Amino acid sequence: MKFAIAVFCAAHAPSSRRALLFARAALAGGHEIVRLFFYQDGVYSASNSVVVPQDEQDIARQWREFVSAHQLDSVVCIAAALRRGVLNEEEAMRYQRSAVNLDAPWELSGLGQLHDAAQAADRLICFGGP
Amino acid sequence: MSTLHVVSHSPFTDSRLDSCLRICGVNDAILLCGDGAYGLHNAALQTKGVKVFVLAEDMQARNLPLPDWADSVDYPGFVQLSLDYDKVNSWL
Amino acid sequence: MSKSLLVISRQAPWSGPGAREALDIVLAGGAFDLPIGLLFLDDGVFQLAPHQDAKAVQQKDLGANLQALGLFGIDEVFACHHSLAERGLTTPASAQPLDSAAISQLIDRYDQVITL
Repeated sequence: MKFAIAVFCAAHAPSSRRALLFARAALAGGHEIVRLFFYQDGVYSASNSVVVPQDEQDIARQWREFVSAHQLDSVVCIAAALRRGVLNEEEAMRYQRSAVNLDAPWELSGLGQLHDAAQAADRLICFGGP
Repeated sequence: MSTLHVVSHSPFTDSRLDSCLRICGVNDAILLCGDGAYGLHNAALQTKGVKVFVLAEDMQARNLPLPDWADSVDYPGFVQLSLDYDKVNSWL
Repeated sequence: MSKSLLVISRQAPWSGPGAREALDIVLAGGAFDLPIGLLFLDDGVFQLAPHQDAKAVQQKDLGANLQALGLFGIDEVFACHHSLAERGLTTPASAQPLDSAAISQLIDRYDQVITL
């Protein structure tokens, strides 16, 4: 079956880890993830500037490694990301900001990508909150 | 049609589970995860008569006993539940 | 045929960008001609309260976005009757009130749901 997975929370929220473990289990079960979409505070789950203490789980890094390893289509909502200071090189340059905290494998795009994924999937699953 | 409602907020500080129970259909189920697992202590959940699941790791982390009116699932079980029901409504 | 999506908006308009971002999902779906419904539930019904003054807290008026729903082809707009009554709000002109059983049927009718 085909899943679209939308994440609405930062990497430090338990629900971000839950989304990651769900996604891993979906792939392990032979299912397909048509797209991961990061919206609202979910854009922080894609930030590469997260630093966690050594004895804690680095969920942002695990997301990045998971997406890269499986070459998943992973979209970060551009409007939500700009508002929260999650910028790739192009946007940092456009708005003259000094920090770049988003790069491959993430792609910045619009909400149309959420709808597109929902249309292509058998199930849309959202994760957010605590 | 059936819906799997996913609730991750504690029912003791938040109204999501109350609202969910109010609009829950007879064929629906509720999956408690995160602090939503504290819903196992919520009497309203039992009396509603809707099917209740809890994410095993969250129950274990909180040292909550599994009541006979609920079932626990691991992540593969969560994936399967999301397919067993027609749609998933996460109360974000 | 396109899959239908029901967005359930549960946040007051003054609690950060949440309410606006929920509405943006609805408007984006409308822009792509997708069958989208919108239900205001819990504090979300405060978005429908009359005579709110966004300028008082230097915010943009969400009402303008709500009025755009029709232009984007979104005419399935509902409000939870229980949530309205609980908050002392009268039935708004812009949303059809539904009781709990009707909301249950509404969710059944849609292919997918996002509750924000």
